[in-house]
Amino acid sequence: MGALKSTPAPIEHHDLSEKTGFSLRQIRVLHKRFKQLSEGDDVLRREDFLGISSLKYNPIRKEIIEAFFNRRNFSPSCEGRANEIDFEEFLVVMSHFKPPCSKMTDEQRKNIRREKLKFIFNMHDSDGDGLITLEDYRHVVEELLSRSGALGKETSRAIADAAMFEVARTVGHRDPDEFYEGITFEHFLKLLSNFDIESRMNIRFLKTDVIPGCRLG
Amino acid sequence: MENLWYVAGTIFQLWMSVVVFFIMLPAMFGLSLGVTEVYIQVLVKILEWATLRIQRGQQEQPSAPIPLHTGIIERVGGSMEEEMWQLRCSRPEAAGAFCLSDGVYFCKKGLESIVEDQVTQRFSSEELASWNLLTRTNQNFYYISLRLTIIWGLGVFVRYCVLLPFRIALASTGISWLVIGTCVVGFLPESSAKNWLSELVHLTCYRICARGLSATIHYHNKENRPQKGGICVANHTTPIDVVILANDGCYAMVGQTHGGLLGILQKSMVRSCPHVWFERSEMKDRNTVTRRLRHHVAAKTKLPILIFPEGTCVNNTSVMMFKKGSFEIGGTIYPVAIKYDRRFGDAFWNSSKYNMVSYLLRMMTSWAIVVNVWYLPPMTIQDGEDAAQFANRVKSVIAHQGGLLDLAWDGGLKRCKVKDSLKEEQQKMYSNIIVGQNHIRNTKTCSETREDQ
Repeated sequence: MGALKSTPAPIEHHDLSEKTGFSLRQIRVLHKRFKQLSEGDDVLRREDFLGISSLKYNPIRKEIIEAFFNRRNFSPSCEGRANEIDFEEFLVVMSHFKPPCSKMTDEQRKNIRREKLKFIFNMHDSDGDGLITLEDYRHVVEELLSRSGALGKETSRAIADAAMFEVARTVGHRDPDEFYEGITFEHFLKLLSNFDIESRMNIRFLKTDVIPGCRLG
Repeated sequence: MENLWYVAGTIFQLWMSVVVFFIMLPAMFGLSLGVTEVYIQVLVKILEWATLRIQRGQQEQPSAPIPLHTGIIERVGGSMEEEMWQLRCSRPEAAGAFCLSDGVYFCKKGLESIVEDQVTQRFSSEELASWNLLTRTNQNFYYISLRLTIIWGLGVFVRYCVLLPFRIALASTGISWLVIGTCVVGFLPESSAKNWLSELVHLTCYRICARGLSATIHYHNKENRPQKGGICVANHTTPIDVVILANDGCYAMVGQTHGGLLGILQKSMVRSCPHVWFERSEMKDRNTVTRRLRHHVAAKTKLPILIFPEGTCVNNTSVMMFKKGSFEIGGTIYPVAIKYDRRFGDAFWNSSKYNMVSYLLRMMTSWAIVVNVWYLPPMTIQDGEDAAQFANRVKSVIAHQGGLLDLAWDGGLKRCKVKDSLKEEQQKMYSNIIVGQNHIRNTKTCSETREDQ
C-alpha cells in the first residue's frame, strides 16, 4: 500500500538528475508523462507520439518526433536512429530544453548554447550526414510552408533556394551556379551567433506552493 | 437452521423499518434528517487536521515530492505572430537563415505538447493538492506520521465495512423501489394523478439513491429550474449526474436502450412517464433522433428533456465542445452547471480505466459526494446565430458559472484523432507570415544582384 511505505526517489532518478540537470521533482513529473505516453510500457515508440492531439497542429511534428529517436541527440558520439527509447534517452532529449540557470559560468553557458544549436541542426539535417544540404533545407521549408496548400511546392522551393543562396554568399560563393555542399555545423553556429536561443528554446516548469488548507467553500 | 432464518428475518425487518422511517418517508417529503450534514462537518475537521499534519511532515522532509496543480509548464501567452516577430527581431539582418530559427518556435511548441497537452489532461483525474485519506489519491504522499496512518486505517475500516454495505443495501432498495413503483404507476390510466404519483415515485427513489452515495447537493438559483417543454443542458462528469439533477425535479431522460438490469429499469420507467429511449440503430440516424426530440418538446406538457451535449464524461475541470445536435431541436434551453467537490471523492468516470461496476464501488467507498448545482437563466437561439455558435454561447455560460475552463476541444478526441482541417490552419498562418516577409526580401535580393552585375 503506497500510504504506508516510505519510498524515496529511486537511485536511477538521482543519477539522471545529475546527468541531465533536472530536479528530482521535474524528473518525477516527466516520468509520469513518459508512462502516460507509453501507456505503461518501459519504452516509447514513434506511434506513442502520434496520440498527442496538440502535436498534430505542428507542421514539423515529424522532425520533432524524429529528434527523440535520433541517436546523435543522446550523446555526441552516437550515430544512427533508434526505434524505441527508454526514459533516460527521453530525458536526455528533453534536457536540451532546460531553461538557463542564473548561476552558470561562461563556459557552461557556451556549452549549453552549443548543445541547443546542435539539436536544431540535427533536426534540419534529416539524412544525418552532418551537413544541411539544399535538399535538407528544401524539405524543411516544404514542411513548414506548403503542406497546407497555401503555398505551392514551387514557391516554397524558390524560397528555400533563395535563402540557401544567401547563406552560400556569406561563405563566399558569389555565383549561383557554383556548387555549395551544405551548411556545416560550425557555419550554422556562426549564422546564428547573435540569435538568443537560450531564452527561445526552453520549457519552464511551474513552481508549486505547499498545500493550501482544506476549507468548506 | 431455523435459528438462522429467524435471525435473518429479524435483521430484514429491522432494516426495512430503518429504511422506511428514516429514509423513505423523509425522501418522499424532501426532508433531511441532517445526518449527512453532521457527517460532512466531521469529515472536514478530520481532513483539515490531516492536511496540517502533512504540511508539517513536508517541512521536515523537503525532498518529498509535491503534487502539482493543473499545469506543469509555463506557457508563453503570445500568438504565433507575436512570437515570430520577436524571433525575427532578435536575429541578425544578414543570412537567409529565417527558416532555421523559425524552426525553433515550432520545436518549442512541439516539446510543450509532448510534456503536457490540454486534451489528455482532461481525461485523467485531477490531482488533489492535499490528501483526503483515500488510498487511491495517495500517489504523492508517503509515510508521514503514525497518527495519520492510524486515522487512515480507521478510515478504510469505516468506509469498507460500515459505509459500503449500508450504501449498497440502500442503493438496491432505491432501485428496486423505482422499478416496482413505476410499474405499479404504469397501470393507472392517464390523468394528472398519475403524473403526480409518478413524480413522487421518481423523486423518492432518486433521493434514496443519493443517500446511498452520501451525496450532499447544494442547489443554487432554484427559480431558474427547467420547466416543462424545455431542454435541460449540463456538463457531464459521471453517470451519477442524472441522480444529482433528478433529486430536484423530474426529467425525461434520453438514451440508448440497454439489455439486462438497466433495460428492465428503462422499460418500467417509460411506463409511468414519457422518457425517450432509442434503439442503437436509431441513434445513428440524426434526423430520427432530432425528430423524436422535437416532437417531445413540442408537446408542452411533457417533462423537460435532460441532455449532456459533451457526449462523454470529462473530468470536471473544464467543459469540452458541445455537440450542436441538441441545440438544433428548438425550444428553450435551460443550462445547468454541475461542480463536484473533489475533497470527498472523485466522481469522474474514466471509462477507459474502470467499468461501471468498479466505478460504482469506488463511489460507494469514497467519503461522500458533495456537489454544487447552479441553475442558469433560460436561453434561446438568436437570429443570425447558427446551432454551433449557440452551443458555444451556452457552453461559456456554464463554464463561467461552474468555474471550469472553457475548451474548444471535442470530447470525442478521447477516442479518435484530430481532424485534418485543424492541422492545416496553423500551417496556413505560418505561410502567410513568411510570404509577407519574403516578398520584400525577394525583391531586395533581386535588386542587389542586379547592382552587382
